[in-house]
Amino acid sequence: MSLLNTFPEYTLTTRTDELLNWMRKSSIWYMLFGLACCAIELMHTGGPRADIDRFGASPRASARQSDLMIIAGTLTLKMALRTRLLYDQMPDPKYVISMGSCSNCGGLFQFAYSVCDGVDKILPVDVYVPGCPPRPEALTEGLLKLQEKMMTERWLTRSNGAREKAA
Amino acid sequence: MEPLKIYELVKERFGDRVLEIADKKPDPFCVIDPKSIVEVCQFLHDDPQTAIDALSNETGVDYKDRIEVVYHLFSYRHRHTAVLKVKLPRENPSVATLENIWKSANWMEREIFDLIGVNFEGHSDLRRILMPEDWEGHPLRKDFVEPLEYHGISTVRESPIVRLEAGKK
Amino acid sequence: MYLQFAVPLALTIVAIGLVAGLLGLQKLLSPSNPFARKLMPYECGEPPTGRAWINFNVRFYLIALIFVIFEVEVAFVYPIAAVYLDWVKQGHRLYALSEILIFLMILFVGLVYVWVKHDLEWVKKVPETGG
Repeated sequence: MSLLNTFPEYTLTTRTDELLNWMRKSSIWYMLFGLACCAIELMHTGGPRADIDRFGASPRASARQSDLMIIAGTLTLKMALRTRLLYDQMPDPKYVISMGSCSNCGGLFQFAYSVCDGVDKILPVDVYVPGCPPRPEALTEGLLKLQEKMMTERWLTRSNGAREKAA
Repeated sequence: MEPLKIYELVKERFGDRVLEIADKKPDPFCVIDPKSIVEVCQFLHDDPQTAIDALSNETGVDYKDRIEVVYHLFSYRHRHTAVLKVKLPRENPSVATLENIWKSANWMEREIFDLIGVNFEGHSDLRRILMPEDWEGHPLRKDFVEPLEYHGISTVRESPIVRLEAGKK
Repeated sequence: MYLQFAVPLALTIVAIGLVAGLLGLQKLLSPSNPFARKLMPYECGEPPTGRAWINFNVRFYLIALIFVIFEVEVAFVYPIAAVYLDWVKQGHRLYALSEILIFLMILFVGLVYVWVKHDLEWVKKVPETGG
């Protein structure tokens, strides 16, 4: 008896949607999924100078406790299977940021035999952050873009098809 | 001790099992018969004049007509280096393992098996170390053909030039 | 008559109501999408192998047992300590003291036994048998 996406757009329901989205975007717990050099910049972004904890984003080690997966680094074919399993084991609603060239498109190592060209071959990605590696400010902007995307979601009101996730 | 002197010592002891001593830059190397590589390395390890106590690197190289396994040896006591090579045929390349002399050969031989396909006889745990366990083929061979997909993930990539030219029009 | 239970009752109602309200809201409003791969036991991305029920070392059980016994002893001593001064004022000083001391002595014998038998050490040193 879920009430998701069942109401028409009244002020009450849209404002409640905004409230829920604001609550979700102000407390994004991301999974530390640093695979290669971008992981260093991810650590820096979580560190004191370019802090994403001021946006409520707190690092989690386990997939079961996180709602954002920041794929930071080169995705090899060996790791791709495990990444897909970890993404499947995250609870809904979940988001993915692809950080750096290697996870966007294979990057510098596109032509290698063992590299999966881009994490979007196995997962649906919400925000791509380009860079090699992206500066902490760039990753922070990616997170803010993701927050903008989260604010457009609809939970109580009927969905307008804007958020279609591949299963 | 100079590397060439070490090779002279090996040649005195082993005679015709030393196939070639080459004085190339940067490292002079010595080519050994594949069947006697273990004896030569045991001698280099035990002899007090050479006292090679570390195998600092072991790699495989795929030339078009042969496969070579290159051993870089180092001695902490005398601080000298030596380079040995072994030439193997490209079909079923196989050489004895050096794991019993230097333990570092364990992982290095696993890597050579994984990427080039050299079989090391007597190795305690010869399995893939870098590629996934169910990978087929040896990637660093010159005739390696990339599979089109791995567990459903396609390895075909569109060339970015195509997209650029489509955008220009 | 039972007016002193008004505050705990209020607290109980608030606690149960809060939890029920939040869980109910979650049932109504949260997306739920369970499927087999998601519900697999979490093993950092690797497919799980082996059983989840493994043999634990018995020393965990021993520590828990000793803890429970002495924790219950402390729980029994607390009410005695609360009314002790009243009993002394009423003149039952010796009776009260001897009662609590006998209780503690019985449990102290148990503590000495456990101590001597090396059950308080995490790694039990078994004495070498002469051969």
